[in-house]
Amino acid sequence: MVMRVSVYPLWPVPRKRDIRSLKIPPAGCTSQTMKVLGIETSCDETAAAVVTGDRRILSNIVLSQTEEHRPYAGVVPEIAARSHLDHTDRLIAEAMAAARIGWDDLDGVAATGGPGLIGGVLVGLTTAKAIAMVRGLPLVAVNHLEGHALTARLSDGLDFPYLLLLISGGHCQLLAVKGVGQYSRYGGTLDDAAGEAFDKTAALLNLGYPGGPAVELAAQCGDAGRFALPRPMKGRPGCDFSFSGLKTAVRHTVAGLPGGEASDRDATDIAAGFQQAAADVLADRSRHAIRRFLSEFPSESPKGRHFVVAGGVAANQRIREVLSATVEEEGMQFTAPPLNLCTDNAAMIAWAGLERLRLGMTDDLTFAARPRWPLDESANPSGRIALGQAR
Amino acid sequence: MNLLAIDCATNACSAALWLDDAPGPHRHAVMRRGHGEVLMPMVAEIMDEAGLDFAGLRAIAVTTGPGAFTGIRIGLSAARGFALAAGLPVVGVTTLEAVAAAQDSEGYPLLVALDSKRDDIYVQLFESDGAALSEPLSMLPEEVADILPAAKTVAVAGDMADAVLRALADRDPPLLRLTGPDLPDAAVVARIAARRFASEPVAANAPPPTALYLRPPDAIPKAGRI
Repeated sequence: MVMRVSVYPLWPVPRKRDIRSLKIPPAGCTSQTMKVLGIETSCDETAAAVVTGDRRILSNIVLSQTEEHRPYAGVVPEIAARSHLDHTDRLIAEAMAAARIGWDDLDGVAATGGPGLIGGVLVGLTTAKAIAMVRGLPLVAVNHLEGHALTARLSDGLDFPYLLLLISGGHCQLLAVKGVGQYSRYGGTLDDAAGEAFDKTAALLNLGYPGGPAVELAAQCGDAGRFALPRPMKGRPGCDFSFSGLKTAVRHTVAGLPGGEASDRDATDIAAGFQQAAADVLADRSRHAIRRFLSEFPSESPKGRHFVVAGGVAANQRIREVLSATVEEEGMQFTAPPLNLCTDNAAMIAWAGLERLRLGMTDDLTFAARPRWPLDESANPSGRIALGQAR
Repeated sequence: MNLLAIDCATNACSAALWLDDAPGPHRHAVMRRGHGEVLMPMVAEIMDEAGLDFAGLRAIAVTTGPGAFTGIRIGLSAARGFALAAGLPVVGVTTLEAVAAAQDSEGYPLLVALDSKRDDIYVQLFESDGAALSEPLSMLPEEVADILPAAKTVAVAGDMADAVLRALADRDPPLLRLTGPDLPDAAVVARIAARRFASEPVAANAPPPTALYLRPPDAIPKAGRI
């Protein structure tokens, strides 16, 4: 006789339910009391979280794979996907336990459906589909970029519309956020994302991995004025970015040093110069975007309009200072969600899922993961823009 | 016991139920990609057909590989997700043993050879009764001779069986090509898992099965380069 065993004895055994995904939020739940589980596996963080309709984060667990990718000085997709499979279910169990809720308390399951590294996305998305099927919950396949875009509504309760600068290792774009699922892309990178430029600069200067924090630390005691580095796109019309020229300039600068190698002193000065150049470019492009945004969305008091910065590069203090000053000058309010909600996390996925769920925007269990998935699909059909979003 | 089995690890996607002591409803589709899209409807259909929900199951069974890395992960994440949400244990079965169990090797030792989508292939040697004679291995078709018992007829199955036959065309005695299914099927996985679970039930809190990749990720350590 075999006893019934439970691998995760954290909540009661399920009661009978329809196994098909529900299309609408369960009756009797108000948007305030809604609870959604979020799962994020699109890059090198495995994450699970539970958030509520009244903007409470009941749990938010992130497992970074940085150490696994460090020997390769970059994210290796197959290593990332393997690691996501090993940890996703356990992290979900931990997030449910930390939130002190059971499956029956959930109103929906949200997972990143793209864009990102497809092997990893499939792990989180498939796990979410399985949970949705077993518990009869609606599934929301969330665009990772929408997760970042809506975070300021979770952290700061912002109303639409607002202007968003999303700067991370994989993405760099300026968006008018007009509503759930409603975005106008003002501009994006034509080549590398800002975070990629930091990673590559760190590699050129032998500062270590990941490059963002390494460059910032080195730049602290560097002289930003010692080496002249370009500000690509600065002063040009529009809101597009380019960072590959800046990276190339860093490489040439290093090559031009005695012995073709940067001393510790050289490295700190180049890091400081690079960081300042990147900040100047971001500020210049943001200034253009702010002017466009305020002309499209005029307000009695421009101070009532928010400029939001999100993504891992938003953790850089120098960039925050420069951006914040520019935003103030242009008469907008500068908003930056807390750092743990700026970098990749599942609370933002749960929140975006919750926002979609309360509008009835759910997905079938046949949803196909999307390695590329622009937020503003009508406005940028060209491959050029998809390039900036590919990881 | 009632058990749900799924397989997404190779160029096929399937789901099957084992009900009490007999095979239940079953779906199988040959496909190179898109497993993640068809798996859930397959499971929903067979559960509906059996009038069963997850509370009526005793375990989830899944193929752990070797096979396509992405497919292995789709199957395992689905199985582990089902298990997590339904409070069930997961039983792992390899693709090689699933193909082996579907053959009648006519009393001869059995070699199963599966596609790795690279030059090498995934192989394992079994006794005619299904007992393993080798570990699951990854090797080139011509290297397979090294693991075969000398001077004995060996039966071959799997979607790379023909490649092995071509590479070892001069072997004496010749290899015997079997005509059973060359790809894993959840119906067979269900039967293996039900038998295994009955004889050695998966313990409470046992860690769920992990992927059997047989190959490390393609990545070369580097430093200071871009």
